[in-house]
Amino acid sequence: MSVKFCYYKYMLGNKKILIVEDEAQLRNALRDKLAKEGFNVFEAVNGEEGLAGALLEKPDVILLDIVMPIMDGMTMLKKLRADVWGKNAKVIMLTNLSTYDKIGEAVEQGSYDYLVKADWKIDDVVAKVNEKIEE
Amino acid sequence: MKLATRENFYRAFFHNTLDGLGYCQMIFNAQGQPINFIYIEANKKFEDLLGLKNVAGKTVTELMPDIVESNPEWLEVCGRVVLTKKPKRFETHLKHLAKWFSVSVYSSKKATFFIMLQNISDKKRSEKELKNAGIAAQNVFYDLDIEKSKVERARAKEEAILLSIGEGLIATNEKGDIIIVNKTAEKLLDLNNDEILGMNFFRAVSIEDEKGKPLALEKCPIHLALTTGAVTRTITSNPSYYYVRKNKTRFPVALVVTPVILDGRVIGAIEVFRDITQEKEIDLVKTEFVSLSSHQLRTPLTVIKWYTEMILNGDVGTVAPAQKKYLEEVLKGNQRMVDLVNMFLNVSRLELGTFTVQAEPTDIIKLTQSAVKEQKLQVKAKNLKLSEKYAKNLPLINVDPQLFRMVLQNFLSNAIKYTSNKGVLSISVNKNKDSLQIAVADTGCGIPTRQQDKIFSKLFRADNARGTDTEGVGLGLYIVKSIIDHTGGKIWFDSTENKGTTFYVRFPLSGMKNKEGPKTLV
Repeated sequence: MSVKFCYYKYMLGNKKILIVEDEAQLRNALRDKLAKEGFNVFEAVNGEEGLAGALLEKPDVILLDIVMPIMDGMTMLKKLRADVWGKNAKVIMLTNLSTYDKIGEAVEQGSYDYLVKADWKIDDVVAKVNEKIEE
Repeated sequence: MKLATRENFYRAFFHNTLDGLGYCQMIFNAQGQPINFIYIEANKKFEDLLGLKNVAGKTVTELMPDIVESNPEWLEVCGRVVLTKKPKRFETHLKHLAKWFSVSVYSSKKATFFIMLQNISDKKRSEKELKNAGIAAQNVFYDLDIEKSKVERARAKEEAILLSIGEGLIATNEKGDIIIVNKTAEKLLDLNNDEILGMNFFRAVSIEDEKGKPLALEKCPIHLALTTGAVTRTITSNPSYYYVRKNKTRFPVALVVTPVILDGRVIGAIEVFRDITQEKEIDLVKTEFVSLSSHQLRTPLTVIKWYTEMILNGDVGTVAPAQKKYLEEVLKGNQRMVDLVNMFLNVSRLELGTFTVQAEPTDIIKLTQSAVKEQKLQVKAKNLKLSEKYAKNLPLINVDPQLFRMVLQNFLSNAIKYTSNKGVLSISVNKNKDSLQIAVADTGCGIPTRQQDKIFSKLFRADNARGTDTEGVGLGLYIVKSIIDHTGGKIWFDSTENKGTTFYVRFPLSGMKNKEGPKTLV
């Protein structure tokens, strides 16, 4: 399995963020913003890449989209929680669905945040990431 | 009795009896046929009755020259009695006197005979009147018969019209027993007229709700019409009733049930219904389409939002003040679209019934205060005076905080939107004996009286609201009403055009009813 990562900026000592999002426009926006805020940003375009990247890089926070091709966010989260490191990884579900079932599932998997992208300012997403790191 | 005495007795009788008596002698021609008679003697009564005087010794044709022509029976009957010696009685009408007489004729010896006359004109008149009355009565009966058949024909026609209506029709009497079932109803319910006629409606037809639960009797529209006189009218959207056919399959109906009222008393109920399976399917497809396309719209909207925000933040270089102004407009337009999409999603969730209600013990005052706080900027911008009044010692109440906030936000933003600068808003939370009541009042443009009944309809906007705020779409109050209706609350308003509006919401102290569902409202 080949996993590709897009490194934007890599600064030693900085917090690592993994963005798992299939929509390039949104992924790029988040990447640019978070990099500008001084995070080391990794990107993955589906759950399969995301899972491999997460286990390899062990990021401080994972921003995880739900609806994606190849492997969706919920499946990736389940697999992540099965890992020794992954079971305590900090995950923010980030999607444009607002389906109660999905939220319920995400909470069960130990993910405590669920953001509807269209309702959130990008600054607030950054604030949420910082909050999550502080936890 | 001596002969003289006897004669005196008979003479006295002859002259004093109340009937007319005449003693006559018949005259025959050569062929032995009676042709005339002579009065030998007659009492006064006899003369009075016939309007004659001094008849003795005169012939009848002399006294009444027309008698042979006008009343031949006189001569004929008298002649026969003289010849046969068999007494006879006959009735005769003397035209010139305009009187009816009963005439008795008796002959004892040879050609002489007695005539006894009784005036029976009164009796005849009564008889005639009676006969006329009989005829009149007969005429009345005849007319009645015609009217009856007319009414019957009209009734049959009306019944034929009723029975042929293209929608299902069932009528019951005051006890709920079925008295009319039309052909469409028979077909829809897969039942025969004679199977259910006379049967109690509630036993004959099973009604279920959306989830397939049999409808409680007290919720059955026919029952409501009979007991409370209420009219029930359902459309394609909720609440839906399903009728169950004999073979246990079911179909959704839209119905109108009305009580039949005569002299102020409910004497029955009529239900008109139709199968709305197809409409339901179309509605579902439409709602799903709105839901899906709304979700799809969210991604590009997020793209516009985030990139514009980053430019405005100066993430990719300094932004000139004029550029900043325009970018802020882009962002505002974007936000409007995000809100619209959210509203469409909410409407589709409310209509699909897929939304969830999760009630939890909530501090209503705190929640209201925070909703008010959110809108403080707008209140300040329009220089509105805002007063808040909260009940003391209000217990925690079970509501879904998100839905409750949505209701409050809607009321508040409407009040702000439709009230001109320096107006007054007031918010109150009151606790009554067994309910919680929230009121949001403004001194705004009000709702025109003629449009007040449509204010909760989907996509409806009052004429004056269109003028005041061009951005609204007419979904806010529709959503609020759906939320309140689905959670066991009540909503209403008072409004006077150009004076202001107050919206009220009331919930029992037990709070909102929970509802399972896969989606939350946004």
